[in-house]
Amino acid sequence: MASITLRDALLRGKRRPRRFGAGSPTTYRGDGYEFVELRAYVPGDDVRRIDWAATARAGDLQTRVVLEDVALTLAALIDDSASMRVGRKRPLLDAAGEAVELWYGSARGGDRVLRVGPECVVRPGAPIDVRFDLERTLLTARAVLPRGAALLAISDWFDLSERHHDLLASLASRCDCTALVARDPWYDGLGLSGFVRIRGAESGHARLWIGARERRAFAAAVRAREAELHSTFASLGWRTGMLEEHDGVAGLLDAFGLNFI
Amino acid sequence: MSFDHPVYLIPAVFLAIALCALLLAAQRRMTARDLVYSNVAFLTDAVAPRAWIGRAFNASWIVALALGALAVAGPHVRMPVPARDGSVFICIDTSGSMQSTDVSPTRASAAKNAAAAFIDASPSGTRIGIIAFSSGAAVIAPLSADRTAVKAALDDVPNPNGATAIGDALQLAAQNLPASGHRVVILITDGVNNAGADPQEMASYLGTRHIPIYTIGIGTPNGDIIGGEQSTIDEDALRSYADASGGAYARAENASQLRSALARLGGVTMLQNREVAMSLPFAFSAGGLLLLAMITGFATGRVP
Repeated sequence: MASITLRDALLRGKRRPRRFGAGSPTTYRGDGYEFVELRAYVPGDDVRRIDWAATARAGDLQTRVVLEDVALTLAALIDDSASMRVGRKRPLLDAAGEAVELWYGSARGGDRVLRVGPECVVRPGAPIDVRFDLERTLLTARAVLPRGAALLAISDWFDLSERHHDLLASLASRCDCTALVARDPWYDGLGLSGFVRIRGAESGHARLWIGARERRAFAAAVRAREAELHSTFASLGWRTGMLEEHDGVAGLLDAFGLNFI
Repeated sequence: MSFDHPVYLIPAVFLAIALCALLLAAQRRMTARDLVYSNVAFLTDAVAPRAWIGRAFNASWIVALALGALAVAGPHVRMPVPARDGSVFICIDTSGSMQSTDVSPTRASAAKNAAAAFIDASPSGTRIGIIAFSSGAAVIAPLSADRTAVKAALDDVPNPNGATAIGDALQLAAQNLPASGHRVVILITDGVNNAGADPQEMASYLGTRHIPIYTIGIGTPNGDIIGGEQSTIDEDALRSYADASGGAYARAENASQLRSALARLGGVTMLQNREVAMSLPFAFSAGGLLLLAMITGFATGRVP
C-alpha cells in the first residue's frame, strides 16, 4: 500500500507548480485521470483543470487535481562508500537498501527504474564497479535523467559542499528530487567515554578523550549539521528526509508526508 | 643532586625508553573502545576534544618512568631538614634597661614569654638551654631536651639589673654548646654592649665554629628612659654579630613582633642542610604515579 501511495505522491507533486506562477501543463502522456482533490486555483494552474461547477458553488476559482496515468522515471543515487557502511547495529547502507526497495517498488508497469552511479547508469541490482563520487554521480544524473524524472539520493552527505549547490539546484529544476540524509548512528549520543580511538570509515584516525562535555558538543554538532543539510536542500528545491539506521522506509515516507500503513 | 650509582642511569633510561615504546605500541592496537565513524574530521571538529587530558596521561607515564629511572641510580639531594638533635642557647638580656615598659608588660617579661613560645614550638629532641646576662652571664638552664624543665627555668631568670655583657653571654654559650651537631645561639637584647668580652670577637669565633647567632633587638625606636638614661638599641652592632656568625638579625618593637620573630627563627634555626637519600621517595612517587596512571588508564581506555 505504501508503494502505491508513494507513487501517487510523486504524481501529485508533478501536478503542482513548484514556484508561484511557474507551473505548466504536463508533457507526459497518459490514458486516464484519477481525481485526487479539489482545491483553490493557484496562478499557473492549467485553466483546463478549473472545475466551473465547483467554482460557481464556492465563489472562487477551483482547480481539479487529478493524477494522470503517466510513465515515471524513478532513479536512485546511492552513496555506497565506506562511510555508509558504518552503524551501531547494522550498516546505514542496509537501511538505504530498504528505502531504495520501496522507491523502486512504487514503480508500475511502464515506469523506468534505474540507478545512477559515477559516470554510469545501471538497472537496479546491477553492480557498479566504480567507486562512489558524489560530484561525478550528480553530474551523471543531470546528464542522463529526463526532465520530470524522480530522483532519490541517499547519502550521509559528508562530501557535500557549496560547489555542489548549483548542480543540486539544476537537478531540482529538472527533476523531482528527494534527498535522504543518513542520520548519524550516534545521533542519540556517543555511548563511549574515556579515551576512544576513532577510525575513519574511509580514512584517518584519532584518539580522543570523550567526556560529558564532548558528548554534548557532539550531539549539538550532529543536530546542527542535520538542520543545515535540511535547510540547504530545501533552499535548492529538494525534498528531504532522514534515513534512520534501524528503518530505511520511514524516512522516505516522511519525506513525502506519508504515513506507513 | 648527586647519585650513588650514576652508571645505573644508563640501563634505566634505556628501560624507560623501551617501556615508552611498548606503551605507544599498545596504544595503537585496537581496543574495545574503538569507534568506526563515517568522518573523523567532522567528529574531531564537533567534540572539540580536550587534548590536555591525553597529554596529562602521557606526561604522567613519562614522569613516572623518569622518577623510576632516577630512583634506581640512588639520588641524593642536599636540602634543609629539621634538626631533631639540634642545640640552642637562648641568651636573654637582663640588664637594667630590660625593665622598660615600652614593650608590654616589660621588655624582660616579653622576652621570657617569647622564649617560652619558642621552646614550645621547637621540634622534640632539640636541646635548649638558657643564659641570662647583664653585668655578667650565667647559665640558667643547661642544654636539655626536657622542654618542661627548660620552660620552668625561665622563672629563674633574674630581674633586670646591671650592665650589658653580650660578649660574656656569647662566650658562655660557646663553652656550653657541644663540639659538633646543629648548634644555634639566639640573642635577645635591648642594649649596647658595655661590659665583659668583646661580642664582635665572640661572634666571629662562633662563626668559625659554624654556630650562627640570631640576634633580636627588642624595644621601640625611642626606647625608654631608665635610670636617667635613654635605653636604645645598637642595631648595627647586633646585625654585625649576626652577619659575622652566619645568622640573622630581627627587630621587635612589641611583644607580638618578638613572638613572631622567635617563631620564624624556630623554623630557620631548627633546619639544617643535609644530604638526603631520595631513592625511596622517587621510587614511591614513580610507583604511585604508575599505579594511578594504570588504574585511570584501565578505567578510561588508555592502555595498558
